[in-house]
Formats: sequence, structure tokens, C-alpha cells
Amino acid sequence: MKKTFHLILFTLTLLTACGPKPAPSLTTVRLALGYIPDIQFAPLYTAAAKGYFTKAGIQVNLSYMDENQAAELVGSNDLQFAVISGEQVLLARAQGLPLVYVAAWYQKYPVSVVAKSDQGIHTPADLRGKTIGLPGLYGANYIGLRALLHAGGLTEADVKLDSIGYTQVAALSAGRDQAISVYTANEPVQLRAQGYALSELRVADYYNLAGNGLITNETTLSGKSDLVRRMVAVLLHGISDTINDPQAAYQASLGYVDNLAQADATVQKQVLATTIELWKTDRLGYSDPKAWDNMQAVLLDMGLLSQPLDLSKAFSNEFIP
Amino acid sequence: MDLKPLRKFLSSSRSLKWAALVSLAVALLVWWLVSRFAGLPAFILPSPGQVAVRFWKALVDGSLLVDTLTTLVEVLLGLLAGTAGAVVLGYAIARSRLFERLVSPYLVATQAIPIVAIAPLMVIWFGPGILSKVLICALIVFFPVLVNTVVGLRAVPPPLYDLMGSLRATRGQILRMLEVPAALPVLLGGLRIGATLSVIGAVVGELVGSDHGLGFLVNVGRGQYDTALVFVAVFTLIALALTLYGLVSFLERKLLTWQETFER
Repeated sequence: MKKTFHLILFTLTLLTACGPKPAPSLTTVRLALGYIPDIQFAPLYTAAAKGYFTKAGIQVNLSYMDENQAAELVGSNDLQFAVISGEQVLLARAQGLPLVYVAAWYQKYPVSVVAKSDQGIHTPADLRGKTIGLPGLYGANYIGLRALLHAGGLTEADVKLDSIGYTQVAALSAGRDQAISVYTANEPVQLRAQGYALSELRVADYYNLAGNGLITNETTLSGKSDLVRRMVAVLLHGISDTINDPQAAYQASLGYVDNLAQADATVQKQVLATTIELWKTDRLGYSDPKAWDNMQAVLLDMGLLSQPLDLSKAFSNEFIP
Repeated sequence: MDLKPLRKFLSSSRSLKWAALVSLAVALLVWWLVSRFAGLPAFILPSPGQVAVRFWKALVDGSLLVDTLTTLVEVLLGLLAGTAGAVVLGYAIARSRLFERLVSPYLVATQAIPIVAIAPLMVIWFGPGILSKVLICALIVFFPVLVNTVVGLRAVPPPLYDLMGSLRATRGQILRMLEVPAALPVLLGGLRIGATLSVIGAVVGELVGSDHGLGFLVNVGRGQYDTALVFVAVFTLIALALTLYGLVSFLERKLLTWQETFER
């Protein structure tokens, strides 16, 4: 009887040892992204499709919302991570939101002012007297435009700003506005695909400003720095893969972006190619302190910040390889 | 213990005024307590004091006044356009069942359209100026006023039409002396609802794209994480809606004095 019991015990032990190992527990992270699924988030889709998140012990859920909401949720620690623009970090910190920018995704500020070629707008100074459409007097489109005006020696009083929501393409096509402030990788590509000849002033050609990147909050930074490090590593791996193989990134995105398969593939691939150019750098994820100084100077000049902030708390290069 | 004086006070009109003030004070106290002791930062829930300071700042720099006036103009024009359209169409519907059959599906459909979804399109079609906001307002105001116009006109007792007919009243006289007074109480009820809804219409339009207005102020507050400013805009909107509601109620009392006399 004893012998039989030992035999059963031995067999069970053997079976247990040979069986699959229990999966390591994954940390669930809800990552807030801007507005809607888009090919411009290809690095994250690539990372998810290739299992980089899982390998890093992260179960990622992508949530789409507006930038302000994302910042507020991370600021209140309801979410731990989001991708938002650099100026939002400073504006939020000025109001007490403890956001920290931990990896620069966009190395170039992704805003342009475009006009039909016949408007003769070739330098920021040419914007004098023009009617410029933009979503409103807030957000990256406004900040970028103000930086461009400054580069041309102009102020808001020298142009007519037309707050039109996200209807810039319609406003330019219909001739309502002579120029529009848009995202470099999106509307100019769409408009050119429709046959418009455009002149484009890229903010990044005149100013080095902090663009979109991964943010977290001070609580997560101090309590879960390892998670932050893993999130940054996965993001940068995704960016690197997308830069090296845009076609594979496009294919990966098909599973995440509704309607991408039905959209004009040539245009979408062009959007991705233009976006990739804004990410390229010698050291992925690196935040240039000068870009933050410039951003702060622009916000102070605009009166959106009443006093300088301690920028060392607003961004960190500690988590990038 | 004699509770008669207390009961008398509670049922008096003076006590009703006090009740409103006490409820406001309690609401402010609860708000202050939550903001003070729940450990919430100002960007999540500013205290009443912080909102009051922000209100004063916006008032002094003139921005609040400009934005309130902008929204008020949009609301009044939208209210006027929506009411005028609804009354004319409502009259036609009340008079003709065939016309009602023809247009009703479209009118009900306008109510099924989520205004938030169509607002950006209105801005594209009619531009980001005042016209798109007025039209959005009018669209929101239109239906409740229309329904009440139809209900009011259909409630006119048929014997009164016979009476007017026997007196050889003209179409204009029937309208002026019978239909308008008969429909007015219900129509003004619809206008009261429309007046409060019109504020929402103007703000939805402004949120899509604008340079001024209380919706614009909400956008600025959100864009700068200035939650106290968002509260200032929201409270001003509430005050605007309450004022419009009060104005329509006042109008109602003035225009319907004959009804009270008649009922007495």
C-alpha cells in the first residue's frame, strides 16, 4: 500500500515538473493616446503585435481620449501612462498636476502652417495679414503657430486667427482661410493627395520644441520605477522597429486601426513615412533640455505660464537606454 | 409644545425664499468640505473660494463679460429663430393633418440627431462665426416649441370656432382673438424649456470652434488645466439659463393675466 502511494506521488511530481510553467503575472497598464486609433501610433501597435509588452510583463490596454483628459487622469493617478505633447506637461504642472515626461517620441515638434502655393507664403513673415484657421486658442496647433509667428517677428495682432475646430482642411479647400495650423504628418499629406499644391512652414524648422512623448506621474515614478523603465523600453523598441520596417508596422497597425484597411493605403503609408521623419534621432527617447527651455520660453511669452517652472522635474532622461 | 407658528412660517412665502438660500448654503458647505477634506487637488475639484477668486479675475479683466455677452446674443438669436420657425410650422401642422403626415417624420428625425455629432458639420457648412451657433441653438429650441404650439392650437375647443364663425370673424380675427390666446399658455411652456436648452446649443457650437463665448471659456480652462475657470464658465451658463427661464416665466405672468382673472 505504502509502495503504491509513493509510486502515485512520484508520478504526480513527475507530471507536474514536466507540465507548462505558470505564466508570470502581467501588470495591467492602460495607456492613454490622443483622440482615435491612427497609423501614427504604429510603434505601439507593432510592440503589441510582436509581444514586446507581454515579454516586459505588461498587459497593455490602449485608450483613446483627448490630450487634456489624458493628462488629468495621469495627474490624478487614475492612469499611470499617456502619450501627450510637451507643452501640455508644462501647462499641467503649472496647475499642480505632477506629470513627468519620461521618453521623447517625437524629436521634432509636429505642427505646420500650410497654405495653397498661390498665397505666396514661404517664410513665417509672409503670414502677416493672413487669416489663419486653427482648432482654437489652445493646444499644440496654437502653440506651434505662435512659435512660427515669433520666428517671423510677428504677433497675433499681425494676423487674423480663425478658431474653426478640427475643420481646417475644409476651411483651406473652400478658401475661407488663407493658411491653416495643422499636424505636419496628417493634413498636409491628405491635402496633397487631393491634388492641392501647398507651401508648408514646419515649426520644427524654426524652433526646437518638446513634442509628443510618454508621460507618467510622480507617484508611479517613485513607486514603480521598474514599470516605467519597462514601458519606455517597449515604446522605444516599437519606434525602432517601425523606423526600420515601416511596411511591417503598417501591417501590424491594420489590426488596431479601424477602417485602415479601407483607407487609401498610399496616403496612410505617406502619413507614416512623414511621421517617422519626426521621430528620427541618434538616441531614441532622449529629451533635449534645450527643447524644454524653448517650450517654456514660448509659453511664458504667450502668457500661458505666469512664472518659470523647475524643468528638471518636468522631464527625465533617466529611463532611456 | 405649540408647533403652529413653525408650521405657519414653513408654509409662508418668506420661508420658501429662505429654503432656497439654505439649500444653496448647504450645497456650498458640502462642496467646501469635500474640496477641503477629500484631499483632492484643485485641478480635480477647486474649492468655492478658488472659483470665486477666478470669477473675480475673469470679471475684472473683462473676458467674462465679453464671453457672456457673445453667448447671450447667440442664445437670443437662436431662440428667436427657433421659436419663429416652430410657431409657423406648428400652426401649419395644427391646421392640416396632411401637412403633419408629410413633415412629421423629418421633424422627429431632427430630434434624433445627436447635436454634438452634427455641430462640427454645421461649422463646416455655415462657418465658425455666429451663424452656425445660432442655427444649432435654433435646432435645439425648435422641437419643444413646435410640439407645444401644435398641442396648444389643437386644444382650442371646437365650439369656440363655431362661435367665431357665427360672429362672422375673419381668419385674422380667429387667429388673433381665439387661437393665439388659447395656444399661448402651452406655447410659453415650450418656450421655457427651449430657453434653457438654447444655452446648451450655443455652448456646443462654441466648443467646436470659437474665439469668444462661454463654451470657448470652457475650452480655454480645459486647455490650461484651469478647472476653476471651467467652473466659472459653467456657473455663468447656469445663471444665464436661469435668467432666461425667469424672463419667460415673467413674460408668461404678464401675458396670461387674463387667464388668472378668468379662472377667478
